[in-house]
Amino acid sequence: MEGAFSYAPAIAAFPLVAFVVALTFGKWLPKKGAIPGIAATAGSLLFSLWMLAAVASGEVYHETLYEWTAGAAASEVGTEGIDFTFGILIDPLAALMLVIVSLVAFLVHVFSLGYMNAEGETGLPRYYAGLGLFTFSMLAFVYADNLLMAFIFFELVGLCSYLLIGFWFRTRSAPSAAKKAFLVTRFGDYFFLIGVVAIAATFGTVAFAGDDSFVAAAETAINDGDTLFGFDAQTWVTITGLLVLGGVLGKSAQFPFHTWLPDAMEGPTTVSALIHAATMVAAGVYLVARMFGYYALSPTTLAIIAFVGGFTALFAATMGVVKDDIKQVLAYSTISQYGYMMLGLGVGGYVAGVFHLMNHAFFKALLFLGAGAVIILMHHEQDMWKMGGLKDKAPVTYYTFLAGALALAGIIPFSGFWSKDEILYDAMIVGLEEPVILAAYAMGLAAVFFTGFYTFRMVFLTFHGEPRSEAAEDPHSIGWAVKAPLITLGVLALVAGVANLAPVAKIVGADITFLEHWLDGEYGAVEGLTYSAYGELVAYETGVIGSEQLTVLIAAGLSLLLAFSGAGLAWKLYNVPEPVPYKDRLGTVGDAAEANYYQDEYQVWLANGLTRPVARAADRFDQTVIDGTVNGVSTASLFGSSWMKRLQTGIVTNYAALLVAGFIGLLLVLGLYGGWFL
Amino acid sequence: MSIGIEYYVLLSMGLFCIGLFGVLTRRNALMFLMSVELMLNAANINLIAFAFYHGNLTGQVFALFTMALAAAEVAVGLGIILVLYRNFRDVDVTVPTTMRW
Amino acid sequence: MMIEALLAVALVGALVTFVAPNRIAGKLAFAISLVPAALSLWMFAAFDGSGNALLDGTLAFESQVEWIDLGSYTISWFVGLDGISLPLVVLTTILTSLAIMSSWTPIDNRESQFYGLILFIEANLIGVFAALDFFLWFIFWEAVLIPMYLLIGIWGGPRRKYAAIKFFVYTNVASLLMFGAFIALVLGLGDGVTSFALPEVANAMLNGGPDGLFGLEGTTLASVVFVAMFLGFAVKVPVVPFHTWLPDAHVEAPTPASVLLAGVLLKMGTYALLRFNFTMFPDQVETYAVPIAAIAVISVIYGAMLALAQTDLKRIVAYSSVSSMGYVILGLVAYTQFGIGGATFQMVSHGLISGLMFMAVGVIYNATHTRLVTDMSGMADRMPVAVGILVAGAFGYMGLPLMSGFAAEYFIFFGAFGAGFDYAPLFTALAMFGIVLVAGYLLFALQRAVFGPYRLETDYEVSRAPLHDIAPMFVLLGIIIALGVAPDLIFEMITDAVDPILENGGEL
Repeated sequence: MEGAFSYAPAIAAFPLVAFVVALTFGKWLPKKGAIPGIAATAGSLLFSLWMLAAVASGEVYHETLYEWTAGAAASEVGTEGIDFTFGILIDPLAALMLVIVSLVAFLVHVFSLGYMNAEGETGLPRYYAGLGLFTFSMLAFVYADNLLMAFIFFELVGLCSYLLIGFWFRTRSAPSAAKKAFLVTRFGDYFFLIGVVAIAATFGTVAFAGDDSFVAAAETAINDGDTLFGFDAQTWVTITGLLVLGGVLGKSAQFPFHTWLPDAMEGPTTVSALIHAATMVAAGVYLVARMFGYYALSPTTLAIIAFVGGFTALFAATMGVVKDDIKQVLAYSTISQYGYMMLGLGVGGYVAGVFHLMNHAFFKALLFLGAGAVIILMHHEQDMWKMGGLKDKAPVTYYTFLAGALALAGIIPFSGFWSKDEILYDAMIVGLEEPVILAAYAMGLAAVFFTGFYTFRMVFLTFHGEPRSEAAEDPHSIGWAVKAPLITLGVLALVAGVANLAPVAKIVGADITFLEHWLDGEYGAVEGLTYSAYGELVAYETGVIGSEQLTVLIAAGLSLLLAFSGAGLAWKLYNVPEPVPYKDRLGTVGDAAEANYYQDEYQVWLANGLTRPVARAADRFDQTVIDGTVNGVSTASLFGSSWMKRLQTGIVTNYAALLVAGFIGLLLVLGLYGGWFL
Repeated sequence: MSIGIEYYVLLSMGLFCIGLFGVLTRRNALMFLMSVELMLNAANINLIAFAFYHGNLTGQVFALFTMALAAAEVAVGLGIILVLYRNFRDVDVTVPTTMRW
Repeated sequence: MMIEALLAVALVGALVTFVAPNRIAGKLAFAISLVPAALSLWMFAAFDGSGNALLDGTLAFESQVEWIDLGSYTISWFVGLDGISLPLVVLTTILTSLAIMSSWTPIDNRESQFYGLILFIEANLIGVFAALDFFLWFIFWEAVLIPMYLLIGIWGGPRRKYAAIKFFVYTNVASLLMFGAFIALVLGLGDGVTSFALPEVANAMLNGGPDGLFGLEGTTLASVVFVAMFLGFAVKVPVVPFHTWLPDAHVEAPTPASVLLAGVLLKMGTYALLRFNFTMFPDQVETYAVPIAAIAVISVIYGAMLALAQTDLKRIVAYSSVSSMGYVILGLVAYTQFGIGGATFQMVSHGLISGLMFMAVGVIYNATHTRLVTDMSGMADRMPVAVGILVAGAFGYMGLPLMSGFAAEYFIFFGAFGAGFDYAPLFTALAMFGIVLVAGYLLFALQRAVFGPYRLETDYEVSRAPLHDIAPMFVLLGIIIALGVAPDLIFEMITDAVDPILENGGEL
């Protein structure tokens, strides 16, 4: 396994080559660039699995490959120079994420054959080029070994989302949604970039791992009681951590930067699957996991992460309840699920957060691809009220979708249950000691009910009951390229939970928490980037109710109960032959949820109602006052000279007279000063 | 015997004032030119008189320069007057005011 | 003699083009312009200088011949390149070649004169970056204005006369201020200097400074000169509130002139700021750091706000240039290696990116005969390649990583964040908000003009742009990405020339 890592750059390079090939030759290729894309992501997947195996055999990789630039810069902690490099860090976390990303990207490429090619879309080379660049950026981001490189590819991920969300650029809505996605995430990235610059200027390094990492430097600074930029080290670490968190909130669509994500549904469904499951949205949470050591140094930041996560989980789930568009429901479920991951990480549940990231990647990719299949079936109809009865006509789609839905809702034994339960358990034991976390936990718990409800509302409206439109009566057929990815992901959604059966382990005492061991570096690990290393840094107290086993049972029981009651309510209301909307009965609450709690309105107002008028006012000020002054100077001189020129009568005699008068005047003046007349 | 320098200066001043009077009152361009000649010659008288007074030749040399200059000036001036006449059918200096701006 | 060769080729080329028939002038000028481009690239490869040209560095391609003896001062023909000026010379020659190619389509009258003037500008721009004697430098500096005045005044848009005169008078008055200030400085230095050679003046400034003049103390004189020269160059940069000539000039200028105007002419101002104010006056830089940083931040934010309010594509890019040049000022005032180095990098990078943007807008204008975003929609449908490049250029402008704009901005931000003046992190964070605004106005413009359903308010049939319109943009895009991926191509050279500046007061 020694040599495996020298091939690591190829993992990202394959999709980059596919991007170039699709962009330049895509037009002339069969399938318009799909083949290179599939080949490249398959290659990435194989190499990622190889890396996973290499890590499992106890190896890790941390190597600087390319020096972007280096220079002299005095940092706050005393180092004199700084290197900005591109390097690869493959530790258990990165290896796991590489596999997830390349697997989902591969399946999305295959699915695209059925979703895009078979539907006769135009501009496919652009589409596959975008997918290739997207995969490249995300893979490079995942194994970035420093914060600047992470930021660079984080931004490129944003670019790709812009290009792909705006894929159907001939419509009005897609370019608008693409712009919104880029702008909102850019707003987050603005804080992120300040954070990168601040961390680099403070610690003189941006490396994630090793003795010369900024995490280690921050720990030293806190222990030494340094003053950084006029703040004490602890406060400064909190400030910079929060700045970086801005980028995370933007990309992972956490409150209040979540508004771009539902709009992003304007892109092709395959793109949504990629964005939501494995790339862009996952990037934010992954970044928190990547630099978890830094956040662990600051309890304030962790608490904020947890609280924002818990709040977003509940907030987004309630909006998902009232949506009619199948993709919109999934969009809000994504926001909500990433809220859970943030909650998990924020309470110090590093393993739980990553576990949910993995499971969510599988079941959300599955659900989106399933929704894509439904959209093919329905001849591009997305309104759930026009569906119904697809269960018998498209069994493969139905059963795989159902597997994803069960995982999303957190029903035992599907994968989502295990990870979500672990997050809630971690939040609960911390919450017993910390009131803020308890509030976050309560919100996360309440969200379980809504999740169960909207998930099954979606399933019942789509697949059960009687067909409610002609399209639903006579669905379009779907091919193997659609079914194969669904089946693969369906199986994963069912069994991925085996990776970390923490509740079972705690109750029966069996050693079956594989993911925890994996992330704790029992195979291969980079020092300082392990679960136990983080555990020592996190300063949370934990409590239990009675015994640990009892606490586990209570936590699991509560979340299962709520999930079942949510699902049950949906079953009662919507699993009928002719379901009807109940939204009106929610009154103003329903209206507010339908309108996304007016979050869009105020953000659009910030852009259109505030910034643009200010810009117009600035423009008027510029045209009138500043340019007016400039033009005023020229006007004044023109006006003055128009008077002055009247002296030039054109009559030579006058000139001569003036000359003489001037001469006499001069004589007089000289005479007066010379004292001739005295 | 010698005439005092002040008489030369008075003569020169008189001549200059006549020339100046001509420039300020006449409208005929030819008269203008003549008046200017008078003024130049007034200067010449001064130059020569003071050269004589100081006993060196610099002033006389400059008087020669001035004469050459005056000749050139008349040539150019007459040329301008001819062009004026061709364009305005007149040699009245108050007519071509359209050329002022 | 390489610099003389560059100048000679451009000047002789300008004359030849001037008398050549209109029909072949464009191709001829392009062929001629390839010679300086190739020469400067060779110079780039063969560069053997080190250190700063003004501060005892080893110059590359140096030549110094005494020219005029004024008694107590001598004026010499003194040219040479260091790590700061060489990238700008290469930028000039390459951008000129590409600008000439991009004018084949839009320029359809008096071609020989047009291309002759472009080559004449090139010669003077090279002179500005290469000259190391103040007098010589000032001749080139002023001579740049004349061809640009004519280019705008003859081949410009409807308000070309207004714009050309405003451009000329505004920048010329500023030059006067700067010229007077510099002469006062040289006089104030007294016996310390015997020539107008910049290294000598810089040396005298750093070893004691001026004695005083007209009853002013030496330090007061230095401050007055610093402020006057700053204001003089600020007009050229331009810095808010002296920026209003820029949008007018850009909007009225023909596309190739805009390319050179934004690409190189604006860099003259920041280059001169770096050479004069920030090299010769380290103490004054420290004193005035906070107000200058405030001006930089205002330029960035205010320029971006103005860009947001525009509907003319060229005006948007013009105002965004104001914003981008604010970053350069911020980098300069940071007085750190990354700050000043990043500012120089940004000069090159912004030259490339704004050149690309103007070319792309020009290509769209050639086809649609309008630049108003309200007049068109969905241009991507008809001109996919040109729009693709426009989008790429826009993202370059937004500082997309792995393009040169990001490297430049990152260096500047990093350099400024750790700078020594008060509230440096706060100023930096404020200036960085520009990256959100730039994304805002460019994406709004793109959304309205090139995406959406196809619509055009003018009566023209839009078809794909010809290859010779597209090719220059691809070259620029290639350079932009190359510099973004490997900034050390020029950044090492730049920092080598920047370091000596910092030894005189900045923190290295």
